[in-house]
Amino acid sequence: MMFGALRAVDDVSLEVQAGHVHSLIGPNGAGKTTAFNCISGVCRPAGGQVLLNGADVTGWPSHRLVSAGMARTFQITKVFGELTVLENVALATRSRMGCNLQVWGSARGRTDATAQAAEILKLLGLDGSADATADHLAHGDKRVLEIAIALALRPTVLLLDEPTAGMSTGETQRAAELIRSIAQRTSVLLVEHDMEMVLGISDIITVMTQGRVIASGPPAVVSADTRVQDAYLGAVDAWST
Amino acid sequence: MTARETGTRLLLAAAIALLAGLPFVGVPQFTITLLTEALIFAVWAMSLDLLVGYAGLVTFGHAAAFGLASYAAGYFAREVTADFFVALLVAEAVVGLVALTTGFVVTRVSGVAFAIISLCIAQVLFQVAVAWRSVTQGMDGLVGVPLPSIFGVTLGTGTPFYLLTLACMVVTYLALARLVDSPFGRTLHAIRTSEDRAAAIGINVRLHKWIAFVISWAIAGLGGTLMVFMKAGTTPMSLHWAESGNVLVMAIFGGIGTLLGPVVGAISFVFLRDEFTTRFTAWQLAFGLVFVVVVLAFPAGLAGIFSRAWNALWRARS
Repeated sequence: MMFGALRAVDDVSLEVQAGHVHSLIGPNGAGKTTAFNCISGVCRPAGGQVLLNGADVTGWPSHRLVSAGMARTFQITKVFGELTVLENVALATRSRMGCNLQVWGSARGRTDATAQAAEILKLLGLDGSADATADHLAHGDKRVLEIAIALALRPTVLLLDEPTAGMSTGETQRAAELIRSIAQRTSVLLVEHDMEMVLGISDIITVMTQGRVIASGPPAVVSADTRVQDAYLGAVDAWST
Repeated sequence: MTARETGTRLLLAAAIALLAGLPFVGVPQFTITLLTEALIFAVWAMSLDLLVGYAGLVTFGHAAAFGLASYAAGYFAREVTADFFVALLVAEAVVGLVALTTGFVVTRVSGVAFAIISLCIAQVLFQVAVAWRSVTQGMDGLVGVPLPSIFGVTLGTGTPFYLLTLACMVVTYLALARLVDSPFGRTLHAIRTSEDRAAAIGINVRLHKWIAFVISWAIAGLGGTLMVFMKAGTTPMSLHWAESGNVLVMAIFGGIGTLLGPVVGAISFVFLRDEFTTRFTAWQLAFGLVFVVVVLAFPAGLAGIFSRAWNALWRARS
């Protein structure tokens, strides 16, 4: 990916295995969000390919990626604030059922979609706030609702963009458990800067600095890598102490 | 259906019955004429509400759809046949074609860019209406449009045409109310809230905005067709940006995103304008003041006042 003459992400290659939680981490400016945007179709890479279940989906618009099996969440929470929590998810289930263009008949009449949405909310522990307006949710619950909306699309791979951003320690803990549990339904590509959280839940971690991958492998291998310690962990330690 | 929904429906049915009964209980012809114009504007303002209130696409060029339909239906009625439904069909074909082509371009953008490009489209049509004299008679306007007929029966001005307009308005309301409540209608709400988020749940944002644009123009086309028969003609001013401003004022005054609000807004607009033009030379100034006061005090418009009172009534009951 090029921003003008700046090569923001160069020669980054990663493969998300089915059923894995694969984390992409790196310090600020490492290019992980840019890599995320190339994969999720927000910007088109200057070179390289994005393959989904073997099919080339490079540069596809978001809605086509969704039907191909890729769902995403946003770093800055974007839920449908005026709608109820249930309706937020029901929009996604109706979309997956292919009735977005249905102009006749009430949306509420699609009880099949609403039932599936309620099921997802239950799975993620949001069923208690199903009838609340999304804007009235606590920040942590909004982040979970983001994941619920994406999960309702039944993706083969779910892209999470810093899902724990702005969360308290307790909320982060809950979110980590949640991410681990949804890996049973879908592969997860997680973009994070919180190394500690990532170590606990990932199957594979890819570490980036300055637009390049410096290490990739299981948590134990990556955290023992001296280049990673120098480039990332050392920097974090120095910064946090 | 809850008791409250039944109550709302009964209230709407009573309002329609009241409007339909007005000509038969001694309401002066002059008032009926004003009301006819108001109901035509109501159709137009509801079509704008679909774009602005539901899809979140603010346009400064909604006169384009209305005026274009007036020209197409009026010209066809004068030259070929004054059958209302045939003229409407012709107007819809013209409006539909222009909406499909211009809509394809303009719905690729949002926000201010959408507002301005749609304004430009309306101004281009305005200039065409001024310059294409052989068809439009330029600034003199299209004149001599005959009275419409339905199934071979010529409709007189006054009560029959008023009832036709009322029927068109009611059908438009019922169709739009269903549309905004449908899965497609809900996707428009999603797009209005966040285009990125909507796309990320698999909604083809451009396609949906395009469809909403074409539907909105088609309904505005019904309004324009009614208007050219009511006035027996039209002028390029029907395409002018000031008219696009007026319909926005009606919709916002009544309350956007409610469908019924624009109806209330259109009726209020026509009667306030009539009231003010007889008293002030600068009637727009007086109307502008009322508009500012209402919008500041009730951001949800006149419909907001009604729905608040209606809700309070039901709360008090339970």
